[in-house]
Amino acid sequence: MTLISELFALLIFPGFVFLFVAALTFEWIDRRVIARLQGRVGPAWYQPLADFIKLMAKEDVLPSGANKVAAAALPMVALAAVMTAGLYVPVAGRAASYFEGDLIVVLFLLSLPSLAYFLAGWISVGVYSVIGGNRSLLQYFSYEVPFLMALTGPAIFSGTWSITDIVLRQSQTTWTLFVQPLGFLLALVGLIGKLKRDPLDIPKAKSEVIAGPLTEFSGRKLALWHLTMDMQTVVGIFLLVNTFLGGYSFGAALPSVFVFAIKALLVLLALSAASVLYARLRIDQLANLGWRILVPLALVQIAFVIWAGG
Amino acid sequence: MARSRPLFYLLPELWHSLVSQPCTVGYPFEPAVLPAGFRGRVVVDPDKCKGCGLCVRDCPAFALELQRESRDKYKLIYYPDRCAYCGQCEISCHADAISLQNDFVHAIPERDTLKVVLVDHDKGRACDVDGEE
Amino acid sequence: MTKVTIPIGPQHPLLKEPLSFLVTVEGERVVDSKMRLGYVHRGIERLCQQRTYVQNVHLMERVCGICSHVHTTTYCQGVEALLGLEVPERGLYLRTLLCELERIHSHLLWLGVLAKNMGFDTIFMYAWRYREIALDIMESLSGGRVSHAVNIIGGVRIDMDAAQVEAVLGQLDELDTHITTLLGVIEHEKTFRVRTQNVGLLSPEQVRRYCVVGPVARASDVDVDLRRDAPYSIYDRLDFKVITHADGDVWARTVVRLLECVESTKLCRQILASLPDGPTSTRAPRKVPAGEVVSRSEAPRGEVIYYIRSNGKDKPARVKVRTPTLPSLLALYDQLRDVNVADISVVLSGVDLCIACADR
Repeated sequence: MTLISELFALLIFPGFVFLFVAALTFEWIDRRVIARLQGRVGPAWYQPLADFIKLMAKEDVLPSGANKVAAAALPMVALAAVMTAGLYVPVAGRAASYFEGDLIVVLFLLSLPSLAYFLAGWISVGVYSVIGGNRSLLQYFSYEVPFLMALTGPAIFSGTWSITDIVLRQSQTTWTLFVQPLGFLLALVGLIGKLKRDPLDIPKAKSEVIAGPLTEFSGRKLALWHLTMDMQTVVGIFLLVNTFLGGYSFGAALPSVFVFAIKALLVLLALSAASVLYARLRIDQLANLGWRILVPLALVQIAFVIWAGG
Repeated sequence: MARSRPLFYLLPELWHSLVSQPCTVGYPFEPAVLPAGFRGRVVVDPDKCKGCGLCVRDCPAFALELQRESRDKYKLIYYPDRCAYCGQCEISCHADAISLQNDFVHAIPERDTLKVVLVDHDKGRACDVDGEE
Repeated sequence: MTKVTIPIGPQHPLLKEPLSFLVTVEGERVVDSKMRLGYVHRGIERLCQQRTYVQNVHLMERVCGICSHVHTTTYCQGVEALLGLEVPERGLYLRTLLCELERIHSHLLWLGVLAKNMGFDTIFMYAWRYREIALDIMESLSGGRVSHAVNIIGGVRIDMDAAQVEAVLGQLDELDTHITTLLGVIEHEKTFRVRTQNVGLLSPEQVRRYCVVGPVARASDVDVDLRRDAPYSIYDRLDFKVITHADGDVWARTVVRLLECVESTKLCRQILASLPDGPTSTRAPRKVPAGEVVSRSEAPRGEVIYYIRSNGKDKPARVKVRTPTLPSLLALYDQLRDVNVADISVVLSGVDLCIACADR
């Protein structure tokens, strides 16, 4: 690839600008759908952008015991990890780069924001931040294991560890969803936990720990954190669409961008509906759910895939 | 279906909310709809007012003041920012002179309307509710 | 494990009104709690002594926003007893109608707040949306959604015509269907039950020791309801059930409160069906003869007690208010022992605190 096309892929599509626009758009759609499901109007289209600009312009304060260098570095590390992960996830068939094993790299990069989130709570010395950080670490172990196990299913089924090749294989055979519906469900629940959306927004439960690890952040740092969470939503949804829903393939001859967008929006709608339907779980109930129900189901799913494939 | 009810109990309600109008009231982009008995701005009919001072005595917020110089010369002054819009003056008035209008928004943008002369009774001189002739 | 003190309040997203709770936790378990009140103290009892009886009606309405009508009802009842006034029947019926409507609105408000603090935003939005129907009824009757200013010493200042009665009956039917939906949710929705069951347990002995009243007591199988035990206004002529539940946890309190809403709509229908003709108020003299009276009524949160002492002038000598939130606050220490941090919000919301009432 030439320098121009590489820079284009890095900065514009599917790089920074596209991820930024997609993050804000997905946040708006999510908030609007949740509002309509609750009988409210919901924000206008420019609300997430206005929130971002407003936060960037606000004053940046930290409590006196907090580690200033770490507080400045953590949101940038998290944002960089998510954006790098986004480069390897193909959007309508086009990824900035791909190689055998990039699924593993993407999953690793997507877990970095969670660890940065916990560290953010640890270094800001407030009570709410520390408790939120502890909860986020507990939650991380409860959902990450079934999520990873669910995502190895499509890789084993397609016989390759590169996301672009998984999409290619699905366009030749069938969507992984039809072969592993249980895996898709587990991946959805894992994604809800990873994105800390309702009903698994335990680390940042507003009525218990105010804002969890991000309580003491403000101004630009908080803007970057929110952008990281939004981009994580986008990359997570795209990952699920590519591994389970066949990416851009449909069978009929429809434009791939259109098909991909529809699938991504359907997954987003499922996430919004899930956040409206249920009450927030307690952390011990989530640990129960994760280890007693989700992990055994994931094991069953993987065993089935290996037995069926072999 | 009975087994899945606990997990998806709210779905019919959610669908109903999605397809019907949101229940948000459009004020201030649409005009506010005030009910008939709304307790708003205090208005006094100067012909009926006798200057007895019952309303002043019964106002819980001390928002009415009667400045009396003689039997036929008195002023009734009203402070909208102290008023609690409770309607006690309307109940207390024996001459049925006071009423609370419902064309009012409980927000006062100009400071000089914070002291309203409701009645300026000066021996045969009638005036309207703003104290002007 | 080190002990950390979480300050809940005075400013906290969980509280509607300022209240300071210092909760000591070890990991995720609560070890100790300390409470501090008085952030909303406005000195209303002292202000009462500096204002006339008529002015005090409106002052007592502002003790609490949610149960404002009950406060004025109890106060007017007490002063009318001191004056020896006979309030006309129609006035009593209209007063009671608004009491029951206020009960509905208060319980739906509470359900929304509990759901929000639990993370169940949808039920918060729905409960408050259905509460709007009750508020619309009260607005059409009195002109105000929250501050009704309906009671005067000697009766009520409003009246209803036949068209209004028809409209209110239709709105009550609508309210009934929605309350049934909410009842279904708390019965069947698994995440709601899982968060509220076995949380905030109070045994009947604890209820009696702390003198807890209201739905919190009734949810722990203690059968107290002032409307049946010491009927005031026209409750001796109305037919209703007192709802109790045996579990004693937050879920039981939710069930009790929602079933009480159903009973309240039935009571409203009975009142509207048997509304007598006549005036709605009588003339009340300004000077109250010397004496003292204790007036009680059943607010949405429990028993409200007013003690009024008069020494013959037109200003009261003493007005003492005991609101039902005070004993509930005392019972919180027991409920907050050995719970998870996540349960603190459910317990605090489940007791239906009205700190403005408690602080006066």
